[in-house]
Amino acid sequence: MHCVLRIRCLLASWLCVCVCLAQKDSIMHEVNILAPRRLSDTGIQRTTLDTTVLHQNVALSMSDILTQHSSLFIKSYGRATESTAEFRGTSPSHTQVLWNGLKINSPMLGTVDFSTIPSYFVDQASLLHGASSLVLTGGGLGGAVDLATQPVRQQGWGLQYIQGIGSYSTFDQFLRFNYGGNRWSSSTRVVYSTSKNKFHYTNYDKKVDERDAEGNIINSYHPTEQNQSGYFHDFHILEDFFYKPSGKFGGQVGASIWYTHSLRGLPFLSVSYRDDSDFRNEQLQDALRCVASWQRAFGTQWNLDTRLGYTFQSIAYDYSVKNGAAATSTITDSHSYSQQAYLQTKADYSPAADWLLTANLGLTYNHVRSHDRSPFHIGDNYNEGRMESTLSLSAKYRPTSRLAFSAILREELYRTDLVPIIPAFFAEYTLIRPHSSNPISLVAKASIARNYRYPTMDDLYFKPGGNPNLQPERGFTYDGGLEFSLSHSFKSDAELSLHANLSAFDSYINDWILWTPNAKGYWQPSNLKKVHNYGVEFSLQSDLQLPRDWQFSLMGNYAYTPSLNQSEDLDATDASYGKQLVYVPLHSANLTAQLRWRTWSLSYLWHSYSERYTTTSNEVGYITGRLKPYYMSDLSLEKQFRWRPLQLSLKAVIYNLFGSEYITVLSRPMPGRHFEIFAEIKLP
Amino acid sequence: MSFPRKQYWTGKLLAVIVLLAACSNSDPGTEEEKFEAEGQGVFILCEGNFNAGNATLSYYDPETRKVENAVFQRANDRKLGDTGQSITLHKGTAYIAVENSGIIWAIDANDFRVRGQMVTGQTEHMMNPRYIHFLSNEKAYATDLYSPYITVFNPQTMTYLASIKTEQPEAYGYSSTEQMVQYGKEVFTNCWSYSNKVLIIDSERDVLSDSITLSSWQPKSMALDARGKLWVVTDGGFSTDEESFGDNIPHLYRIDAATHQIELDQTLDTDEGGIVLATNPDATVLYLINNDVYRMNITDNHVPVRPFIQADRNERGVRHKLYGIGVNPHNGEIYVADAVDYSQSGIVRRYSADGTLIDQFRVGINPNGFAFK
Repeated sequence: MHCVLRIRCLLASWLCVCVCLAQKDSIMHEVNILAPRRLSDTGIQRTTLDTTVLHQNVALSMSDILTQHSSLFIKSYGRATESTAEFRGTSPSHTQVLWNGLKINSPMLGTVDFSTIPSYFVDQASLLHGASSLVLTGGGLGGAVDLATQPVRQQGWGLQYIQGIGSYSTFDQFLRFNYGGNRWSSSTRVVYSTSKNKFHYTNYDKKVDERDAEGNIINSYHPTEQNQSGYFHDFHILEDFFYKPSGKFGGQVGASIWYTHSLRGLPFLSVSYRDDSDFRNEQLQDALRCVASWQRAFGTQWNLDTRLGYTFQSIAYDYSVKNGAAATSTITDSHSYSQQAYLQTKADYSPAADWLLTANLGLTYNHVRSHDRSPFHIGDNYNEGRMESTLSLSAKYRPTSRLAFSAILREELYRTDLVPIIPAFFAEYTLIRPHSSNPISLVAKASIARNYRYPTMDDLYFKPGGNPNLQPERGFTYDGGLEFSLSHSFKSDAELSLHANLSAFDSYINDWILWTPNAKGYWQPSNLKKVHNYGVEFSLQSDLQLPRDWQFSLMGNYAYTPSLNQSEDLDATDASYGKQLVYVPLHSANLTAQLRWRTWSLSYLWHSYSERYTTTSNEVGYITGRLKPYYMSDLSLEKQFRWRPLQLSLKAVIYNLFGSEYITVLSRPMPGRHFEIFAEIKLP
Repeated sequence: MSFPRKQYWTGKLLAVIVLLAACSNSDPGTEEEKFEAEGQGVFILCEGNFNAGNATLSYYDPETRKVENAVFQRANDRKLGDTGQSITLHKGTAYIAVENSGIIWAIDANDFRVRGQMVTGQTEHMMNPRYIHFLSNEKAYATDLYSPYITVFNPQTMTYLASIKTEQPEAYGYSSTEQMVQYGKEVFTNCWSYSNKVLIIDSERDVLSDSITLSSWQPKSMALDARGKLWVVTDGGFSTDEESFGDNIPHLYRIDAATHQIELDQTLDTDEGGIVLATNPDATVLYLINNDVYRMNITDNHVPVRPFIQADRNERGVRHKLYGIGVNPHNGEIYVADAVDYSQSGIVRRYSADGTLIDQFRVGINPNGFAFK
């Protein structure tokens, strides 16, 4: 069945449920008052993931969460391997990522590996689609992901420990110790995850021939192989401290420190005939991210938010022969050290209830040293520092209670290179306003923006290949959409809340930076591509409270994202013009259904990507030219126990419920059906 | 009232789960196709993209002008591997070195079925096999990108025999060995990666006997002419700073294979595409890819200024990426591989010996080598 048809069936099914319920109970008798719209969110296309979504289970990373709960395309190279996020058919470097206000995109690559961010370390995540990312930062030609930790709300001491044990010798440990008081709160979280990750899979890329004494083949079969060199040991510790000083200083002071130590084997390709007992192929990563913040309101008109940040990241990649059979034992021994110091001050001024003016100044200093100690390399790849400054001014105005506008002007400076001014304009109009007899809210939104992404430090300086003559990528995007909310209470004590968002977008990116191989065996970036992205995004969040402690919630996302190459043909034989970009699915969808009854909770998660092309010319006849669509299902069952003050919970999860055999990237096998159980103890 | 609603909900939930389960993937297994490619034909090895595992093998019949792509996978129901580096024909068997898979395949040249293979684990030192050279029916050499050894193996049984240490300093990656040509008992091999050496192997004793140091970095391709002269072309390495290898300027050398003396050293235009050498069937004419295709007699002392075959250019002057060249030993026809954008099916153009275009056809990604039956 075609993917779109399948999704239509699902939506029809859900709408059918809603209609039936409405018909049976017919008249509401209570209406929840919907919160008034915030002026600061004028025209913004935002998807918010709250703690209940983020803290599903301790084994999940942000890449898993975004796969299951957003319309972003997550390109994953396997379990616990690099996973990047793409908005609206753009590239991973077009997704800007902030953690507590600090931009954590690698200054070298411009990307973020979401598999290294434990979802238990994030309390709130917002996805800002397209032009909406300019509220936070420039360069998000696809969008921005805003991750944040929050002060402990619970008063007093708290302790939480979760132990997960799963297939492939997987062990996940999580410990949280927190205190919340009137003035200060502290939260210490630790995650330690290890796995041999030696899952079995049928390797359709290989075939074993059994031969008789004369050499004739008597039997052939696709072998069952183990994922080689896929082990991981990930350790994270995060401390959040918030303090509300009294007196003149006032406001809230916060500090967050997050340290990561990650040792990961890089799995062999399914077409590799090497043995992992002979080769070491692993990545060691250490990262320290610190943010100190001070937020304060001055009267009713002024708000000040100042942040100071520092990050250090060391990544070592080692590819070597273990057994010393060959005299040369090291093939790649690359190390990169990046440091980032950061200062940001944001001031909000609200001269009247219908006006909000904001100024935001950011200064960032990046330094990268990258080198390879293997005998196949000499000298530094590069050793460079770069100062980056950004200033944005915005004005938001609500002339009537239904209509609001917002305009942003952003200027960025990289060393001495000024990026052209980035302008953005947003508008929204409330078509239907909720009130005492109307539970429905319907808001129309629109935005238009120009955006630029400056080349990364690898793009400019990496030796060999770096191209100092690169121009910034130029984006132009506009979108419009409808946001629908409903809060409905039925006679029978059932309550339905529903939030849906539908948006359409159209964007163009010129001077897209693309690394291509050259004849000397290394890659070089250039401003090669012109890309036209357009499409539709739809999201749905609904919650149905039923009598007798039953609760059913349904969340879903769907995105249709043509992302077409419109670069000039390289020559008459270039068949890539007008074709979908490599590895970008046209359709992506996910759905989460959760049924809760008292202390029981049953969750079903499903996501799907349509076929993805592996050649720029989208050749379907090419034998490895496309990856089949896949449909992934996970199922979990949780039971909570309470013996005050102790809370216990047991949870069992089945991943890849139907044992799909699939790949997300060529020659990268993925695990079949596997399991994990979790035990949680919480005090109080 | 509540019972029917529960049933309704349960039914809906089950319906959704069944619907999604029905979407589950199925076994992607394929059938093995039967081929009967008798007569003269051309194998085109398509390197694929590094780390994508999408190397393929194409087969072209010059008589019918019909091309069959991905014949290895279609005939054997398995992938060729990651980064197909070279293909060499010997006694009705095609030997394919698939570098980043760590395997050398031996396939029947007519039905394309696998006859045997040798993987890294069967040898003592093989890591990334690059090129194969046959000394007899029972003895062949395989060069290597990373291992400082040349692997000696029996091509009939695909069994490991021995290793030849290249004895180059490890410090700057002089381990790489590439193409091989034979003059008498001596086998010459160029060290491409971060090196400026041509090594000479005594094929009777299987030891390194001598080496030649070039003034330019990264010797990329070699050919032996009818007069016993070894032609070597470098890509010049790359120039980034004082610690870089080379100056980015390719050189063409003529070396006397008997005396190992360099007789000619000519600088060439900086290349943008591949630098590759080939000879006509009687090895009296040299073909060189350096952006365009050049032809020179082996008695000439310099590469002609005008190209023999000019790579097409688009309106902005961007040239096609010529990636490989092969000359049919039976009739001297020239096959030139064009990588287009390195990420889509490449093009092969077939020219007569006088440079007239005869045919062009699409093959796999990054065609880099030819073998003529």
